[in-house]
Amino acid sequence: MGIFKRLFKVGQSEANAAIDKLEDPIKMTEQGIKDLKKDLDKSLQALAEVKSVAIRTRKEVTEHTNRAKSYEHKAVQLLQKAQSGGLSEAEADRLATEALNRKEESERHAATAKENHTKLQQQIQQLKNNVDKLKSSIAKYENELKMLKARSRVSNATKKLNKSMAKVDSSGTIALLERMKEKVDQDEAMAEAYGEIANENRGIDAEIDDVLDTPSGGSSALAELKAKMNKD
Amino acid sequence: MFNFFKKKKEPDYDPLNIQVTDLKKGFIFDYDLSQWEIKEEYTYDWGDNFFTKEYKVSDGDKTLFLSVEEDDEVEISVGEKIRLSSFEEDIESEITKNGRPPKKIHYNGETFRREEESPGYFNDGGSDWVEMISWDYYNSDESQVITIEQWGEREFDASIGKPIEAYEISNITPIE
Repeated sequence: MGIFKRLFKVGQSEANAAIDKLEDPIKMTEQGIKDLKKDLDKSLQALAEVKSVAIRTRKEVTEHTNRAKSYEHKAVQLLQKAQSGGLSEAEADRLATEALNRKEESERHAATAKENHTKLQQQIQQLKNNVDKLKSSIAKYENELKMLKARSRVSNATKKLNKSMAKVDSSGTIALLERMKEKVDQDEAMAEAYGEIANENRGIDAEIDDVLDTPSGGSSALAELKAKMNKD
Repeated sequence: MFNFFKKKKEPDYDPLNIQVTDLKKGFIFDYDLSQWEIKEEYTYDWGDNFFTKEYKVSDGDKTLFLSVEEDDEVEISVGEKIRLSSFEEDIESEITKNGRPPKKIHYNGETFRREEESPGYFNDGGSDWVEMISWDYYNSDESQVITIEQWGEREFDASIGKPIEAYEISNITPIE
């Protein structure tokens, strides 16, 4: 590998490391979920448009069916009018035939609208399945992110706690206690040494005086008893 | 020219979890095995900063009115318009004479008692607010409510509705 290529590779790896440091995985995941939600919103809007067309188509079915019924009713009325003599039979037949033609036309429109409505309902179901899949994925990612955020918070807190514990062990209270214990040991040893020296420095006279000045507890009690017996 | 730099407005709702309180004109939802499209959106101002929403919805066959009240809890009801002439009582004359409809009214053989009188303002999305007053009547088990509304001097409306649970409104799909 040429020197320039190697230098370029080093630069590239340094740049990547710097970018890695800048990236916050939680924030990036949050942004990813936000983007997915935007996609979901667009899909929902597309679904709403198809649903709206389906509702309009359903309205068309009802309108055409009602119109067909109305033409049939008119045809019957025309024939009844002819029967009662209110209209010539030929005219009644002509108008009734026309009404029945319109009725058939409306029925055809109603059938087409009904067919369209069925197709639209199938499309709606397909779109809804896709939207539900996307919803379920986003919900799963959101839950995972929540869990990861909680874990990250716990690990940060643990890290902080362990860090302070580590600080305490090396230079904190434990070290102070150790130093204090050493000092107390030293002081005790010193006191003992002074005691020994003091005992060594006492002369023989001091020893004799001690014996004579302080009678033993036993002999003093004996003298007291003897004095008491003489009195009696 | 600067539209390119304009940030697109985020939706007011969470697309993952659209609630009945997020409904707007054009939205579609499922209720009672049909798909309903919101044709109109109305707001009522009952004073003291208390507002309720009403939506005129259609499934292509029927038209219903969906009321959403967000107080401590969300209360939803679905109703339809009825004619004033469908009551046994002469509602209009009673209001003109006494300033309010009778204490008890009868509809389809059932007795409804007046429980609330609420003056307020109504807005249909435009800039104008119209003053109105409404009276609510309940049947004995409170499963149905009749609302009589007065607009101006001699304009009246009546509707009959029933409370529903939020889960009965499902698959809410938004539209821009």
